[in-house]
Amino acid sequence: MSAHRLSIRLAGLAVAAATALAVTGCGDDSSSNSNAAQSGSGKTLTVWIMEGTNPDATPFFDQVKAEFKRETGADVNVQFVPWSAAHDKFVSAVGGGETPDVAEFGTTWTPEFGEAGILAELTERVKGSGVSDDLVDSLVAAGEVDGKLYGMPWYAGVRSVIYRTDVFEELGLQPPTSWDEWLTVATKIKEAKPDLVAMPVAGNNEYGVYPFIWGAGGKIAVQEGGKWRSTLDSEQARRGIEFYTSLATKHGLSSPAAETWKETDLKDNFVQGKLAMMISGSWTPKAILEAAPQLQGKIGAFPIPGEKSGISPSFVGGSHLAVFEKSQQGDLAWQFVQMMTSGRFASEWATQSSYFPGLKSLLAKSISAPDPLIAPFARQMKDGGETVPVTPVYGKVQAKKTVPSMLQAILSGSKTVEQATADAAAEMTAEMQG
Amino acid sequence: MAARPWLLLAPALAVLAGLLLYPLVRVAVISVQDFSGLRAVYRGTAEFIGLANYREVLGDRRLWYTVLPNTVVVAMVCVVLTVVIGTLAAVLLESLRPGLRAATTIAVLSAWAVPAVTGTYIWIWIFDPVQGVVSHAAQWLGLVPAGGENWFTDRVTFFAIVVINVVHHGFPFVALTVLAGLLTIPDELVEAAKLDGAGAWRRFWSITVPTLRPVFAVVTILSTIWDFKVFTQVYLMPGGDGQNREVLNLGTWSYVESFGQTEYGTGSAIAVVLTATLLVITAVYLRTMFREGEL
Repeated sequence: MSAHRLSIRLAGLAVAAATALAVTGCGDDSSSNSNAAQSGSGKTLTVWIMEGTNPDATPFFDQVKAEFKRETGADVNVQFVPWSAAHDKFVSAVGGGETPDVAEFGTTWTPEFGEAGILAELTERVKGSGVSDDLVDSLVAAGEVDGKLYGMPWYAGVRSVIYRTDVFEELGLQPPTSWDEWLTVATKIKEAKPDLVAMPVAGNNEYGVYPFIWGAGGKIAVQEGGKWRSTLDSEQARRGIEFYTSLATKHGLSSPAAETWKETDLKDNFVQGKLAMMISGSWTPKAILEAAPQLQGKIGAFPIPGEKSGISPSFVGGSHLAVFEKSQQGDLAWQFVQMMTSGRFASEWATQSSYFPGLKSLLAKSISAPDPLIAPFARQMKDGGETVPVTPVYGKVQAKKTVPSMLQAILSGSKTVEQATADAAAEMTAEMQG
Repeated sequence: MAARPWLLLAPALAVLAGLLLYPLVRVAVISVQDFSGLRAVYRGTAEFIGLANYREVLGDRRLWYTVLPNTVVVAMVCVVLTVVIGTLAAVLLESLRPGLRAATTIAVLSAWAVPAVTGTYIWIWIFDPVQGVVSHAAQWLGLVPAGGENWFTDRVTFFAIVVINVVHHGFPFVALTVLAGLLTIPDELVEAAKLDGAGAWRRFWSITVPTLRPVFAVVTILSTIWDFKVFTQVYLMPGGDGQNREVLNLGTWSYVESFGQTEYGTGSAIAVVLTATLLVITAVYLRTMFREGEL
């Protein structure tokens, strides 16, 4: 409440300052600035962006701010929010009525906040902008509830396998193309390099197990007659989960520490040179090389092998830019969203952050890139991209940590695969129908 | 005239009402509402549903088999260890020369000054299954298999680490408070006891403990309250954020239910249960420790 009032007061000050500048003749009065787009003059747009996507986002947003100021006259106040705290922060902001104008939303959260009436519906605006046909389909699908779009696709990423090329070369190994080969390769690494963790199975990373569920032909949940039902206990899903966890429990290719690892722990340990392979996002190679320059030229990537051949599908995640329903500056906010998701800024962001842009026309360029740290991910995205159940309640399932809980129970040996999957499926079904 | 004390108290009472009473009342109100989902948060109100949230919470097996034991047992262990170690530290401090005492006090205080978040991460690193110093030592001694063992997945070892963390963070307060009490014991009393032939052990139990009874009461009650609502030290531990259901306590359970599940009604009901449990325990404590209102 008070912050709101403060921002109004600040806006007032800014107007006063702008007027003063104009009167004293110090204002920038170049002709390009005097058009109708200057309606934002004196206004400030508050934007929340996730931290860490772009290793150093400050220069990028300095340019965005300058350009937006030039186009609309409005200032942009960018605040960075860590991914891990973001969902809670959004919820408390909603409760306290302190939401920003525009925010970056993880694609799995958009339906939840959209359905609750917190985000502005963008369907008409997107249609009007003429880019509808160019948007990446999976990102559009992830942002829709009952045909209404609440998030503008911004960027996407996908997980594949990152590995140490130097280790593979030394042992004469090739990237595997089936699960059996994968097991053989990992076992050879373990035998030759006992100090390396050949293939870590991170217990607190649900995105690591999904490819195996999908790769074995299973599904996380299915919708029957309007009701969702978890199928984690299906024969196929169990086979996938069994293979993935057996890498740790039966074959000892992981490390006990990994039972509680999150995705970030995988990356940290890889950076320290302790891992030979890991399932990791298309956005991580750049960060890895920045943190560990000595690994330059020693890392590569391959799509997640299929059970017998081909590619096991992996989750295509990403971000939307969404406008809050309560924002007093909806038009200005949409102008900002458009600027960020198209043209120069969209492709620059994608390049800097090693993500794939949310526009098909831009994605095509990435796929044809010769970079060995981009091409395998692009192939994964094109030929092996999947999405988690598109329903607002899946965010709750994730918050309940149903899948990580199942993984940890199997890895630590407190439950069998049968029991853990049965429990997880029951919990997920109850949550989705509750 | 009769209004004057109240007039003087008014500012403090107003601050307390705003900062303590209002949230407490709000939590109580939400706990009897169907306050679930983002819509309720957005609107800020919800329908009253009586005691349904309490029925749900109290009828949950998890409360009785996991959450409550985790909370109560861990808190009791923490309180006992905090008070014992704190008292021992106080006795040590009292026996030191002034210069040495100052240096030791600073060392003790530094454990207290470290924020809970920082302290928790340090303990996580110390017990890290791969790189932690304890893990290295245990592997070297052959106590755990090579490659390490993950202590965070097991309920008992998980809470053992939590207890170490909480006690390490909590004992300096007890040490300083008890030290302050020790310094008020008249030297004549101790000398007289010495002349009567009382040893250090006897003097401690016959002079120190009875004199410091009120001090012990205060530190015990405060420690109980703190250790019951331990949150950071559990939530930040690997698996403590709800992934491992075996290690949920009242604080983390309430948080996971409210914020993750957006079930604020249930979360508030858990919070009220926590508050009520604390009140009961504090009342029982006070009654047993003070038969005739010594405090």
